Amino acid sequence: MADPVSIAMGQGSSCWGCFQSLVDIHLKLADVLPLLDIKYWQAVADFKLHHLEGYPDKSIVVGLYEGMARTAEDVHLLKIMRDKCQVLIAFGSCSCFGGIPGMANFYDIEECYDVKFRNNKTFSGGEVPSENLPSIEPVVVPNSDIVDFDIYLPGCPPTPKLILTAVTALLEGKPIDLPPHTVCHYCDREKKETPIEEILRPFTGHADPDRCLLEQGYICMGSATWGLCEGQCVNKGTTCRGCFGPPPPITQDHGAATISMLGSYAPIDPEQMKDQVKDAIGMFWRFDYPTSHLGRIRIKREEAKSR
Amino acid sequence: MSKDKTIRIDPVTRLEGHGSLTIKLSADMKQVKDVQFNINSTRFFERFLTGRLMEEAPRIAPRICGICPIPHHLASVKAVEAAWDVTPPPAAVKLRRLLIEAKQLSSHAIHFYALAAPDFVFGPFADPAVRNVAAVLKHLPDVAVQAIKLMEFGQELCRTVGAKAVHPVTAIPGGMLSPLKEEERDDWLNKVPEMLENINKTVDLAKTVVNLYLDVITKVAVTPTYYIGLSNEGALDIYDGTVRVQDPDGEIVADFEPHEYTKYYGEHIPKHSYATHIYYKPAGYPEGVWRANTLARCNVNERMATPLADAALKEMRELVGRPSHHTFAFHYARVVEMVQAAEWIKTLLEDPDIVSTDVKLSDVEPKAGEGVGIVEAPRGILLHNYESDEKGILTKANLVVATNNNIAGIEKSLMTAAKQIFEQEAHKDLKLPDPLVKT
Repeated sequence: MADPVSIAMGQGSSCWGCFQSLVDIHLKLADVLPLLDIKYWQAVADFKLHHLEGYPDKSIVVGLYEGMARTAEDVHLLKIMRDKCQVLIAFGSCSCFGGIPGMANFYDIEECYDVKFRNNKTFSGGEVPSENLPSIEPVVVPNSDIVDFDIYLPGCPPTPKLILTAVTALLEGKPIDLPPHTVCHYCDREKKETPIEEILRPFTGHADPDRCLLEQGYICMGSATWGLCEGQCVNKGTTCRGCFGPPPPITQDHGAATISMLGSYAPIDPEQMKDQVKDAIGMFWRFDYPTSHLGRIRIKREEAKSR
Repeated sequence: MSKDKTIRIDPVTRLEGHGSLTIKLSADMKQVKDVQFNINSTRFFERFLTGRLMEEAPRIAPRICGICPIPHHLASVKAVEAAWDVTPPPAAVKLRRLLIEAKQLSSHAIHFYALAAPDFVFGPFADPAVRNVAAVLKHLPDVAVQAIKLMEFGQELCRTVGAKAVHPVTAIPGGMLSPLKEEERDDWLNKVPEMLENINKTVDLAKTVVNLYLDVITKVAVTPTYYIGLSNEGALDIYDGTVRVQDPDGEIVADFEPHEYTKYYGEHIPKHSYATHIYYKPAGYPEGVWRANTLARCNVNERMATPLADAALKEMRELVGRPSHHTFAFHYARVVEMVQAAEWIKTLLEDPDIVSTDVKLSDVEPKAGEGVGIVEAPRGILLHNYESDEKGILTKANLVVATNNNIAGIEKSLMTAAKQIFEQEAHKDLKLPDPLVKT
């Protein structure tokens, strides 16, 4: 058997769901794990940060980084991972685009502190903790602004199948070949090119299980979202919220593309549409606000403050 | 200038979140001055849930935890339904219960086998390169396969019911978006016997480990605290019930409805952790520090809800009593709860209602109101509290998540352990078995 391939798995601020999805390759773990030499994986192995910091630069073949950079410690870990790993993968939508916690950028950091530490239903008068803790970044900057990645593997989380495809390709030294289709390509529902008269909320009525959800009026981002999920939500009665981000090139603005798509399906007056959607920013940029055009303006505003 | 010594453990490993440990000692290292469990990140869900549509909260909140997204999905949808006065159809509740029991099974399996077992299989002093689940796979392949099969059963059943195993999407105010198909139910029923066999093997392994490490379990980090957990009239329940609080002497001091929680929940903002400390408000802080999670649930309840699990609980109590303050007994209680999850899954799959198509209301209407949703996550009781305006936009959120309930309790038991090690050197007299596997 060939020598195991060295690997490091870093976790920024995140939920661990991408790693759970990796574990969800189930019995394939028995094939894959013996091929890996785990150099760092905080949730699984007992190596500490000083171990990772002590490895020679570029001595680890593959690195996976889950999560976004919410704290100074996350930024540090991300840079260390870049230094030590030959191939660094942005693992999951937080790492690729900022993800759901990137929605914190809708608000000023002081407003975030208010509900978390200063005043809520179970406490009042608290202060932001600071002892033996890394500082919190005032705004979520995309990981790709901090380091360069070699591979982006989006998804919230990436599916076990996608992870297995990627890991197998890496172990065999082959390029990762991913299909470019949107979610609609994998959706079993029928499209009849009927215009939408009214936007419906997902709890309204009973959706026809055989017809395109969007054409029935339910907001579904499938046609603007990369289909690496293979349509898991839309084929179980549920609308797409765009958790895999835009299809390649993934630098395009996902929310803007969704709104443009919605405009072509729904001949509704823009003001009316806005009233019916109610929360456009939290709907269309849920997973990728920090990398979007609007999100960039937000980050620039923060940078201007510190000048 | 202080000559105190500081030990930093960074990061705390085999933990699926962010933590480090700071232990402050006197110069001669014979006195423990302070122990801090530093949770070093936070993402501000309470802030950015605000402003979203209420029905989207169950699709956003699961990202709080990738190992327990299903309890977040369900606590969230229950909070929305409470705010809007919506009662989902009974068959939808059964599907949700199937979903949360499946998650309980897989989470407890990953915790027991991947996070905890390496210490006991290889011994606490094994090399870090060995003391992990990859080495379990290498040295004990049969044990690893039974572990993986249990995790697979739980996770894939979650995928069937929730559309995604991690970050499910099917629960909606008023029910579930996707009924369970008959052929799916049949397929899962066929897999139940093997799952139950693997549960039995897990119970046997747990008993072996408990007997080998009895000295550690009964002596290290034994720390009296309050306990909190859901209760269905005295039986352990993870989807519904009243909230019970037990004091360190074992008396049930509160038993309340979820919406009354602010009378009983206190939240302390520590200086050294972004995760806050939760405590029993009437007792004050830090006296009222409580623990949640497996052992807490077993402590606050008289019995398990299913027969085999109840027999396992009785066996556990013969060793550790009720209440048990044995920090290491959380692992034992985890296995007792796995049995209950397995029994529930079988019962629910055998229930004809589980394939009912009457799982969603069609006339849900948003309204102004406030709602509290509580379920048990694998690591403890989980609370979502939302306020809605008349259009159904979320205007205020307060979350008290599972691990939050345990941070202060963990710190307290770490202090106990640190004193035992540095002040009493009690670890030197512990009877430690030879590792099950020598490497």
